[in-house]
Amino acid sequence: MILSLLVILVVQSLSAPGNYASVFTPAVGKIMLNSVELAAIATAVGFFFALPIAWLVERTRMRGKAFVVSVMLISMLVPGFAAAMGWLFLLHPQIGLINQLSAAIFGPAHPVLNVATVTGMGIIMGFQLAPVAFLMISAALRSLDYRMEEAASIAGAPGAGAIRRIVLPLIRPALAQAAIYVFIIAFGTFDVPAIIGWGNRIFTFSTYVYLTTNPQAGLPDYGRAGALSVSVLSVALLLTVWTRYLSLDAKRFAVVSGKGYATTLLALGRWTVPAYAFIAAYLLLGIIAPLLVVLWESFLPFVQAPSAAALHLAGGANYHAIFGDAFWSSLGNSALLMLVVPPVVLAFSFAFSWIGFRTQLRGRALLDGIAFLPHAIPSVIMAVGVIVLALYGLSHVLPVYGTIWIIVLAYSITWVSYGTRMTNSGLLQLHRELEESAAVGGATTWAIVRVIVLPLMSRTLLLAWVYLVILSGRELTLSVLLTTPGNMTVPSFVWITWLNGGLTRGAAATVCYLACLSPLLIAYSYLLNRTRTTGTAALGSAV
Amino acid sequence: MISIADVEHVYREGRDAHTALRGVSVEVAAGQFLALLGPSGCGKTTLLRCIAGLAEPERGTIRIGDETVFSASEHVSVPARLRDIGMVFQSYAIWPHMSVAENAAFPLRYRCPELKAAEIRERTADVLRLVHLDELADRPAPALSGGQQQRLALARALIAQPKVLLLDEPLSNLDARLREEMRFELRALTKRLGVTTILVTHGQAEALSLADVVAVMNDGEFVQISTPHELYDRPHTEFVARFVGRANLVPAQVLAAGVEPSPRHVTVSTPYGNVECVSEIARSAGDRATLAVPPEAFVLRPAGGAGEDGATGTVEGVAFLGDATEVVVRVADAALITKLPAADAPAVGSRVTAVIASRNCMLLN
Repeated sequence: MILSLLVILVVQSLSAPGNYASVFTPAVGKIMLNSVELAAIATAVGFFFALPIAWLVERTRMRGKAFVVSVMLISMLVPGFAAAMGWLFLLHPQIGLINQLSAAIFGPAHPVLNVATVTGMGIIMGFQLAPVAFLMISAALRSLDYRMEEAASIAGAPGAGAIRRIVLPLIRPALAQAAIYVFIIAFGTFDVPAIIGWGNRIFTFSTYVYLTTNPQAGLPDYGRAGALSVSVLSVALLLTVWTRYLSLDAKRFAVVSGKGYATTLLALGRWTVPAYAFIAAYLLLGIIAPLLVVLWESFLPFVQAPSAAALHLAGGANYHAIFGDAFWSSLGNSALLMLVVPPVVLAFSFAFSWIGFRTQLRGRALLDGIAFLPHAIPSVIMAVGVIVLALYGLSHVLPVYGTIWIIVLAYSITWVSYGTRMTNSGLLQLHRELEESAAVGGATTWAIVRVIVLPLMSRTLLLAWVYLVILSGRELTLSVLLTTPGNMTVPSFVWITWLNGGLTRGAAATVCYLACLSPLLIAYSYLLNRTRTTGTAALGSAV
Repeated sequence: MISIADVEHVYREGRDAHTALRGVSVEVAAGQFLALLGPSGCGKTTLLRCIAGLAEPERGTIRIGDETVFSASEHVSVPARLRDIGMVFQSYAIWPHMSVAENAAFPLRYRCPELKAAEIRERTADVLRLVHLDELADRPAPALSGGQQQRLALARALIAQPKVLLLDEPLSNLDARLREEMRFELRALTKRLGVTTILVTHGQAEALSLADVVAVMNDGEFVQISTPHELYDRPHTEFVARFVGRANLVPAQVLAAGVEPSPRHVTVSTPYGNVECVSEIARSAGDRATLAVPPEAFVLRPAGGAGEDGATGTVEGVAFLGDATEVVVRVADAALITKLPAADAPAVGSRVTAVIASRNCMLLN
């Protein structure tokens, strides 16, 4: 499936001779430069927050770690466009609250801070990708042998020196992998550039692909989108091959093993307050402030700062406007996705893991590589691939284009790679003899899976299930490209409302949407706290 | 009962191949207890897994009772679940999501589907009584201690009354006292039930005390298959002498071959005096060979005493073992391991003369 998707993408991109020529133009070059800059800034900002927080959680005696971890995980699942809207309300050059405030004080010369730039979008995206980087860095730090740190301090290196000289070089391969992974996500993500850049005519790769496939005038140009995707894809694949090479290289560092995790943790001492302040600052900037602003604006007819006059204008008009047929049908569609996608993904993931670890099937390494592929492919490209596949490959066999099933298809293909990582780690935790003793006890393979393996993996599977339910509910990048009026999801409904119905109405739609999602987020963090060690391990391996 | 002929097994990982079994053959009679003894990586666990059907050999034949369960040439490979076996795994592999009784009853449910629920309950109670776990039948399995888990694993292996019981290092995860208790219990139980048993172990004490026959393995091959006594007293090779008896290997030269009817008793000269010893093969005067001298065959005297053959050296270490004392003596470039009655230990650093005072040493082939 994944392979046929890639093949058909290449074929489609070659279908018209002008496709590639139209891609390599100065205008597109500028867009690509924007995307690279955006992704680089996002990666840097994400690491700026993720690296210290991961170190605090894994290496110090800070209190409230469980809380910090679950907050990081939940903030990973809060949709990116919500925070992006909040920041736009705060720092838009003209209407942004902070900029209005400064204009009132200093005169309307220049906005103090303008978020509607590539740098601004990069920073905001960095807030959102920090949790992803956090998970990957924590996993790397956890598997590091603490004795190295101790040896360094016994040898006389002061704390900071030990970190710089010993810890950083040892986890450098893992850091590089995390950086490239975050970079690829940032490069292909739709929400922040769409919310902030779109209205201000700043395009990136993802929004540009959306523009070519959903033009405001004329017909969708899939050949061109395909050519664009194939060009980017080749670079992304090269990067990923390189990270895989890095991870091979990492095996030279014999100390990076799972053993000996009886770490002596550092006491923070007088650094306790700055540490908490740092984490609080991240939460405030990344989630709390923007979401509060979104909530406030959702009650107003147009964007303005909190004041007595504004309070008079506040009311539920935006919400009235939203609760129409489109909202209810998109809610139904999202509910269907949340119901159907997780079991499909988990069934495939479990099958892949099983074949990879428990059979001697030829080509199982290849299977693992293929299941890994979607990790290397920006979501936008997956979406274009699925559209092209549905329109030109499957149109007679499975006419899914324009239905909700094309989205089911896209989500399932993309997330099998996440799911496989999780089921892999679940299966690896099971001692093989547990299954062998059942085989000697007379059970067939199917009975072993049913009676022994699945019950023992139930916690991993449950966690993965809820995680996938939330992903299915919040995914914007994939669904927005695949959306037609007949198969709108809630996130794309929010996007369309924002685009066509005004900013504050979009904010109201976001609030409704977050209200629907939050019970799931709470259930998820509850589950996570109950199964913390195995849970975070599984997730760490998933991203 | 079990017949293994010319079994070869190769592990392949990508382009790397490692031959774990190099064409081994052995017969185990009904009711016999065989121990596979060897250092880690010698192939003993692989052989056990081949018998169980958890690993597949490249070559050879395995028969259990009258049934050929594996034959490379006839393309027969019976899956583990259809072989008439029970197995105790090294990790015990107790299923943590089931109760003690559910764990034990599992093989009955799948191997004997015709049984009624009441019969299953009855036989489960019987087998749990056999291993003294009847009081704990309804406990969740993770609540058991290490020793109890080991007994539960044994109950589960025995409940379907298999012809063959396979034990993979079953005692290695227990503490020393429990291990000795279980050793007696295991021997008594298998003999009472008359089940043919194969034990994999790297502990020579375990192999010698439990088994009727011990097969010593090294590097994928059998080195010697004999009864425990014979193995200890008559090792065929240096490897067996060292691994089983912790014997000292001493250079020797034949002085006189024994006279008929016992050509195998020969007299040799060694640095530790002239010794009458045993040889598997015929020797003639002047032959050079290696003599295996067990630790308890040495006598130590204070140096400079009367009547002197033997070699003089310095006591390097003394380890009190409770019932005996182990003394390491450095003689030239060799370190002798000797074992004396507890009271007779010399002091560290003192000079002693070591003499072989036993007729029971083995001249290696």
